[in-house]
Amino acid sequence: MRALIIEDEEDLLTSLAQALREEGYAVDTADNGPDGLFNAEGIDYDAIILDVMLPGMDGWEILRRLRASRKTPVLMLTARDQTRDRVRGLDGGADDYLVKPFDLDELLARLRALIRRRVDQPTSRIVIGPVTLDTATRQVTLNGGVVALTAREYSLVEFLAMHRGEVITRTQLYDHLFDETDTSLSNLLDVHVSNVRKKLGYGFIGTRRGHGYCIE
Amino acid sequence: MKFCHSIRWRLQVWHGLVLVLVLTGFGFTAWQMERNQALSRVDDELRRREGMLARAMHPPPPQGPHRGFFPPPPDDSPPFAPPDKASPEDSIPAHNFALRPEDTPFFDSLDPHKYFYRIFLAGRREDLERPIRELARSPLFPASLAQMRPWAASSGENSTGMGPGGGPLRNPHRIFSDGPYRIIVDRLPSGEVIEAGCVLDPEWSALRMVALRLSGFGLLILALGLTGGSWLAGRALSPLAEISAAAGRISAGNLKERIQLEGMDSELGQLAMVLNSTFSRLETAFAQQQQFTADAAHELRTPVTVMLTQAQTALSRERDAAGYRQTLEACLRAAQRMRRLIETLSALARLEAGQEFMKMTSVNLASVAEETVRLLKPLADEKQIEIRHDLKPVLVKGDHARLGQVVENLVANAIQYNREKGWVQLTLNCEENVAVLKVADCGRGIPAEVLPHVFERFRRADPSRTGSGNSGLGLAISRAIVLAHNGDIEVDSRENDGTVFRVKLPISGSASGTEAHPDGSPNSGIRAFPPNI
Repeated sequence: MRALIIEDEEDLLTSLAQALREEGYAVDTADNGPDGLFNAEGIDYDAIILDVMLPGMDGWEILRRLRASRKTPVLMLTARDQTRDRVRGLDGGADDYLVKPFDLDELLARLRALIRRRVDQPTSRIVIGPVTLDTATRQVTLNGGVVALTAREYSLVEFLAMHRGEVITRTQLYDHLFDETDTSLSNLLDVHVSNVRKKLGYGFIGTRRGHGYCIE
Repeated sequence: MKFCHSIRWRLQVWHGLVLVLVLTGFGFTAWQMERNQALSRVDDELRRREGMLARAMHPPPPQGPHRGFFPPPPDDSPPFAPPDKASPEDSIPAHNFALRPEDTPFFDSLDPHKYFYRIFLAGRREDLERPIRELARSPLFPASLAQMRPWAASSGENSTGMGPGGGPLRNPHRIFSDGPYRIIVDRLPSGEVIEAGCVLDPEWSALRMVALRLSGFGLLILALGLTGGSWLAGRALSPLAEISAAAGRISAGNLKERIQLEGMDSELGQLAMVLNSTFSRLETAFAQQQQFTADAAHELRTPVTVMLTQAQTALSRERDAAGYRQTLEACLRAAQRMRRLIETLSALARLEAGQEFMKMTSVNLASVAEETVRLLKPLADEKQIEIRHDLKPVLVKGDHARLGQVVENLVANAIQYNREKGWVQLTLNCEENVAVLKVADCGRGIPAEVLPHVFERFRRADPSRTGSGNSGLGLAISRAIVLAHNGDIEVDSRENDGTVFRVKLPISGSASGTEAHPDGSPNSGIRAFPPNI
């Protein structure tokens, strides 16, 4: 999953980015409004964390402009806790609203919920035949036994499982698993896919030649 | 509300009491007058009748036809005077009785039960029995008087000087009431006592009627007065209920509530107006306080969020020493930011409450400004901003460090909100005993809608922060310090053109001489602050 954080408070931005990366997200960051909007419009993120008070362009404006082109789930962060501010945020196209100061666990849970909602996945457990994914604990079991996956492998499985039945192109996969600072080569994807197949069974991820991958 | 504590009821009771007193006094006086009039009528009548009787006892010497009972002694032998003139009985005068003809109807035809008369002859009882019998037998003796005869007879010895009531007859002529009777007693110079009386029953019943009418009238007035008073008191005091209801709603937390002024044109209307303006100020103060609390909370939210996120991220797994150091450094930065905020806020609160201790000395404002310029030069250089200054030495009475803070805030703002390669101009002049420090910049200016609020706490020209070092309190602090020096601070700005801040401080002398200003004591115009407690 790939997320964008737009936040001008440097210490907050770095710690949020670190926390998200450690949760397996590919994370892009922006510390001002215009850069944030540029990123948000250019890339199909799975979620955006957006601060309201930003230099250059505030969060409301970014949201308004972004909604003209994209439906990316947006979680707004703000120091304003009055109801009218929340209402304004939600009515303005935000999918969720979190008031500073917040707990990191809550932020992560809300982010997961936003991503699930986007793909019509009601719970954090996804069952595919003998394989079960728990997106909250980031654990994969095969026939009841825990399978050890690397962070990247898990992200791959998660993304495909979330879009179960869809054919996901290599570009899409690359966009959602690697952030803009990542210099990994795209053929690294094939290595991850073959590792996952080894761990969860060869039929788990199907290949559509010339198109991409798919979990049936 | 207790009955006895209600102003309305107290007013009502007092008003009722006064009314009752006045009406009672009035009624009683009226009744008294009525009674006196009735009595004097009765008395006049009695006197008249007594006079008739007196005249009847001593008729003038007969001229023409004689109508008396007793012929005068020279003509006739007295019918009841004893012939023996030598005995003491001989001294008894002959009694005559002749009512004037015009008087007789009073004694013949008037109600015999109402009036009664007694005549006491002077002399011993046995001597008088015959004359009295003679008198009574006389055909001319009035019927009314005849019925009273037995009284007259039995009271014969009253002639010794006792009154008819049995008491000594001190006053030969008196009128008095005795039970239901009104009696007049008159002793004639010749020794006879004439008593005329009447029963007062009709007068009394008339007076009772008067009393009844007066009481009825009084009660009616009282009822009218109480009703009117109650209506007036209710009307006059009804604004109080409205005022107290509004005050109650306000104290319950609804600060927008006001007292309705319609129909309040009395002193209570004034009170309501005063209260309303108090409520307005209260609401404003409360709103400011709320705004301040919200702003302070808002300012604290970001550093707290940083600390929380940093710490939670760091603790989510094992880190190396560098990772922990990074987290701690970020936490420290956030904590220091909070400390700065708290310090600034409490200094501001102390300044505004007049509790901040200031070391008041003679300060050369020009050197304060020069120090500040030196201090901020590196910051200006970094932004390629030129600081120009034209500072004339002026002495003001004030706290060196605090005044330095004001200049620093203004110049730092001028640098921060300036454009690339801009300039900041500091000018210090003395205008009419006032030191004027002008800090002008060529920056982006302050939007007109924000301009009136720049000195409020947490107000910034740009709502989104451009740096964590700016707390949004600098101008509020500066203004509080200048006001504490009895000075004034003004701002003038045009968007995209620049901003000018003017600080005006009362001078204590010119720097050319070290003496205090000639026409002012060293402390003139400077507020003395109590030591910080």
